[in-house]
Amino acid sequence: MVMAECELSTGIQSGLGSEDRFRSIVDGIPSLVTILTPAGELEFANRQVLEYFCATLEELKNWAPFVHPDDRSRVLASWKHSVETGASYDIEHRIRRADGVYRWFHMHGFPLRDPDGRIGLWYVLLSDIDDRKRAESLLEGEKALLEAVISGSPLPDVLDALCKVVDSTAEGCFTSVLLLDRTGTEVGFVAAPGLPSEYKQFLEGHPVDCAGGPCGMAITLNTEVIVSDMASDTRWERGGFPTAALACGIQSCWSSPIRSSTGEVLGSFAITSRQTGRPTPFYRVLMEQFTHMASIAIERMRSEEALKRSEALLAKAQRLSATGSFWWRAETDDIKWSQEAYRIFEFDPAVTMTHELIRTRVHPEDVPLCDEIINSARGTGSEFEYELRLEMPDRSVKYLRVVAHATKDQEGRVEYIGAIQDMTQQRLSEETLSKTRSELAQIARAMSLGALTASIAHEVNQPLSGIITNASTCLRMLDADPPDLNGARETARRTLRDGNRAADVITRLRALFGKKGVTSDSVDLNEATREVIALSRSELQRSRVTLRTELADGLPAVTGDRVQLQQVILNLLLNAVQAMNSVDDRSRRLMIRTEREGEDHVRLTVQDVGVGFDGKDVDRLFEAFYTTKTSGMGIGLSVSRSIIESHHGRLWAAPNDGPGATFSFSIPCVQQTVKGSRNLDATRTLGVANSEHL
Amino acid sequence: MAMRSLVSVVDDDESVRESLPDLLRQFGFVAEAFSSAEEFLASDCIGRTTCLILDIAMPGMSGPDLQRELTCRHQDIPIVFITAHQDETLRPRVLAQGAVECLLKPFSETALLAALSAALRVS
Repeated sequence: MVMAECELSTGIQSGLGSEDRFRSIVDGIPSLVTILTPAGELEFANRQVLEYFCATLEELKNWAPFVHPDDRSRVLASWKHSVETGASYDIEHRIRRADGVYRWFHMHGFPLRDPDGRIGLWYVLLSDIDDRKRAESLLEGEKALLEAVISGSPLPDVLDALCKVVDSTAEGCFTSVLLLDRTGTEVGFVAAPGLPSEYKQFLEGHPVDCAGGPCGMAITLNTEVIVSDMASDTRWERGGFPTAALACGIQSCWSSPIRSSTGEVLGSFAITSRQTGRPTPFYRVLMEQFTHMASIAIERMRSEEALKRSEALLAKAQRLSATGSFWWRAETDDIKWSQEAYRIFEFDPAVTMTHELIRTRVHPEDVPLCDEIINSARGTGSEFEYELRLEMPDRSVKYLRVVAHATKDQEGRVEYIGAIQDMTQQRLSEETLSKTRSELAQIARAMSLGALTASIAHEVNQPLSGIITNASTCLRMLDADPPDLNGARETARRTLRDGNRAADVITRLRALFGKKGVTSDSVDLNEATREVIALSRSELQRSRVTLRTELADGLPAVTGDRVQLQQVILNLLLNAVQAMNSVDDRSRRLMIRTEREGEDHVRLTVQDVGVGFDGKDVDRLFEAFYTTKTSGMGIGLSVSRSIIESHHGRLWAAPNDGPGATFSFSIPCVQQTVKGSRNLDATRTLGVANSEHL
Repeated sequence: MAMRSLVSVVDDDESVRESLPDLLRQFGFVAEAFSSAEEFLASDCIGRTTCLILDIAMPGMSGPDLQRELTCRHQDIPIVFITAHQDETLRPRVLAQGAVECLLKPFSETALLAALSAALRVS
């Protein structure tokens, strides 16, 4: 090209001595070349130019009508500017080819100057860039479509836009998309922006089956359907489709099913043309590409609808169950809350959630607990579950249960997914229930005491009745004249017997309600303690007690009744919890420790920071019916002590130096060499026999 | 008070069956003891019994069951109930159903005599 320009300029400068040679060179260039005067008049056009437009040089001198009307004013202005200023001419626009089709060209013009710098003439090269331009516009269209899909534009708009992109690329063609409704049997929506509305209406009213035209057939058979000549095709004679299509000027129709990623048919994509014919490879690619794009748009919309539905359902479920959910990345402290979580905390959903903000709602007494849980969760990355109180701005209190599950993200960072349940209503009804239950328990206890009394009375009254009757008889026999001494002796003997019988009843009662036979097994005190803690966990949480355990390793087993020992541990633990119920100015810490005591004993210690007791009351603590509590019978400690004593151990209490009290018991542990029971079988047998009597 | 009339005792408690007839004989009655209502019904004493001392709670047929059975048989025997169950509501109930008296065990000989007198006046 550069060489050609040199030759041309040389030829002209040499006074055009060999115009033929110049023409042959320029005509040989496989490109469209024109030469214009400094004033912008067309002076020369090579053969390729004349052939392309199928016009003479004279006809081309008025070249403006060959420019696409939409581009014309822009082109003329740009050319005028170049001619006036000498600036190079560089523009892309459409030009009408001989067959009437407009194609995109790149015009590149530059001036040739004489040694004085004046413009001698203009060269303008015309390059056909139609394919590139088309690909570009297609790409742009696709990009715009994908953006519309992603930004969540309504599906009808997206499908309409999709048709328009194809229509603008494929000249003389009109695209339509049919979308099936949810049932999959009817046309739910038709996008065909380039087609007459009658055609659209015809399709919308038509059932989806093989008689419904090429689109219905493509959907029903799940295959591509090509109609190259509508007038001669006999497949839809009864359906009236050809008539409707021909009435709209449609001569051919190429339809393919739109399939989801799982293969389900969602609708159809069709290119119709006012000319007969089959799709060229270009159109085949176009169809494939845009059918796929329609599938993406439809699927995206459907999954978004499904997501919205499930989100709405989730929100409703959270509302109904008063349960919010949260996500927390421990490392960065990113927190995300559901609407319901915001509602429970009564925060504006627009605010960003932080631990500081959460703390402002947590009940002042629970702030230490809350901090402790957050800190330990941050470190360990394990599950957590706890109960927490909130104090709302109106001073009302809410009871929450928080459960969280830890996971790790791809980078190994700890993340929590959890639920916050508003337990306030449940808690209030539980409290009412608990109150009712304890009232019932008192009534039941009173009733069973009554029944017990009646039963004891009956057992004792029977022999008493005999005693009194016999004594009366005996007196009468002695008073008789003569006295019936044998009879008196017999009745006195019976009196004695009945007296013994009454005494037996009392003995049996004492055996039944007093010391029972205890089972004697090897008991791991640590394990027994862990079981008790597990049983009391919810009570500890409910009372917001933080428990610390120091259970000694390798603790020797003790011999005794596991259940009785656990009753003692439970009693000490619950006493400690109750002693801290009114503690609000410090965290409610409870410590349970097991350890060896000397060679042959193990000790269990329960330490609280509760109200404690006065040192001088220490002995009274273990009296039955002595209590520092407003509720309860005060019977626990005296029973506990008698259980420990029956295990040959001792139970004692001491006030702490600081707040609270420490209760301990110590019992002998199993001697490695000595085994066996403490001859308790006899007691047990007696117990069984007695209960049969009653 | 007609002398030598028969007083029957029905009670499942042996010490009552041993002691009460002896006391009744000291009072001058003829006395018979039965360990159950069924045993009494099977005996030939029903027609001769002028007063029945009847325990309320017994295995098998209870005292009130026997009372109903006797009413059905038109055996109009005055009944004195005895019981070791100290139930305040029991006495008015059995009295309402036609018993002469209801004695709570243990009872004194004075109370027993008063009840027997009342029973024999009825008969």
